[in-house]
Amino acid sequence: MLSLAVSASATAAAEPANLEGMWKIEAPQMAFRPEGGVVPFTAAGRKRYQDNKRALAEKRLGDFDFATARCASPGLPRLMLTPQRFRIWQREGIILMQFEWNRLLRQIDMGGLVSPQIRVVSGPGPVVSEEALVGRSTPISRGHWEGDTLVVTSEGFADNTLIDNLVPHGYDLKLTEHLRLRGPDVLEDRIRIEDPATFSRAWDTVVTYRRVADEAFAENVCLDSLPVNR
Amino acid sequence: MAKAGEYIGRERTCGRSRRVLWSAALAMVASLAAAQAPLPGGPPAGADPNAVTAALGPPPPPPLPANAPPPATDPRNLNGAWYHTDALVFQITTDMFGNPTPYNDAGKKVMARRVKSLKDGTPFLNASARCLPVGQPWQMDLNMPFLILQSQDRIEFAFEEYHGLVTVQMDPAKALPPSYMGRSVGHWDGDTLVIETSGFKQPVWVDVTGSPASRNAKLTQRVRKVKTDHWILEDIFTLEDPAYYTRPWSWARQYDWRPDMTLFREYDCEVQTGAKDGMDPSLVSEPREPDEPNE
Repeated sequence: MLSLAVSASATAAAEPANLEGMWKIEAPQMAFRPEGGVVPFTAAGRKRYQDNKRALAEKRLGDFDFATARCASPGLPRLMLTPQRFRIWQREGIILMQFEWNRLLRQIDMGGLVSPQIRVVSGPGPVVSEEALVGRSTPISRGHWEGDTLVVTSEGFADNTLIDNLVPHGYDLKLTEHLRLRGPDVLEDRIRIEDPATFSRAWDTVVTYRRVADEAFAENVCLDSLPVNR
Repeated sequence: MAKAGEYIGRERTCGRSRRVLWSAALAMVASLAAAQAPLPGGPPAGADPNAVTAALGPPPPPPLPANAPPPATDPRNLNGAWYHTDALVFQITTDMFGNPTPYNDAGKKVMARRVKSLKDGTPFLNASARCLPVGQPWQMDLNMPFLILQSQDRIEFAFEEYHGLVTVQMDPAKALPPSYMGRSVGHWDGDTLVIETSGFKQPVWVDVTGSPASRNAKLTQRVRKVKTDHWILEDIFTLEDPAYYTRPWSWARQYDWRPDMTLFREYDCEVQTGAKDGMDPSLVSEPREPDEPNE
């Protein structure tokens, strides 16, 4: 295992910060807290938000919150609100966030990976990539370092996930995150959220995480918690 | 390296429809074998169902790019992306030496029931259909990439399909609780990683057709990095399960080094199976007979 440690250190030395380790949100919260106090909804965005609030009040989670109702992936940025732990792995060309909740994995492409395979959908007409055809709840993010800050952008979303427990978004959601260590054991994620169909302007929110002991996750299966599977 | 089993076809599905198509493909193979009658627009009567299913499969993945980096030189460093290139074995019918899979009477009875369910077009609900962790070795048989992530005290296998995860604790004292995937403990035997998995939370389907394994099964994997004409991960599986087999038996798999598959496609089957009406109605619960072993 010594060689593995060497490999990890080598990766870390080549990058401005070493974020490897286990992290947990400092203050568990259901919703993001926008800087400035309010989410700048468009009229259409506000209507969807109010619809979601009404559905929540009427316990119709299955109408809008597939993560809670079905154990579907919460997607981004909601994953970053997980009250459970996540582990960051820094490897050559990629940073991974391995979430305890339901064994989910987030991948940040740091560039330099060998020709990522393009898997295509074939048939009549032009050949298109699956990724171009269908958005994702958790797209492959793209990252780079600006000094000691990891800057990560995410685009290519499906529209069936939420920003948090209520705030909706559309296909054109774009996230820009700035992750940096505020101290050896405190990780800050400053998130800029843009979606012209849902928000009248970009808005920002900040979440912080504290380093915790790096212990393996016990198997986490969300479906076991659904009444239909008990 | 020996290849075991009966090669039927490659998985051709993707994303959220994958779960349903497993059962559809199996039922189609079974119906072809049983009826030997032409399907509308389909293959001619008498067509070999194995060949038909193989023909449905996608082309093999593109070759590894010439500029792909090799894996780490350290034989004990398995980090990176790997991919099961060989066609999926729906049912493992022989061990790695060509002997028939040593089902005992209980194992034969379960297999007969499961094969019949496929021929009848009413496949049984199993972990895969429910989008639960499918257990080993099913998870590693699928033609989807996985990442190996090594840290000081554990080796994680993170899979694209089912967002599966196998955590191998190198310190037995840190073994995790029993789980769908079992509890895996590892050690090095020279440059071979030996993984011993037991503690299955529920009985496991060893393969897609349903070769059984009980909760008390013990699975041993001997994993090593090998350079043939390209880099592979060789994995020799040995299953010990007196509930369903007359003796321990082994089979072999190999996984290609595929750093170009590091970035996963999204696999989110819960969005379908977690819905109230999300289960495929053609799938039925598996009956059990009173004299069957307590799995």
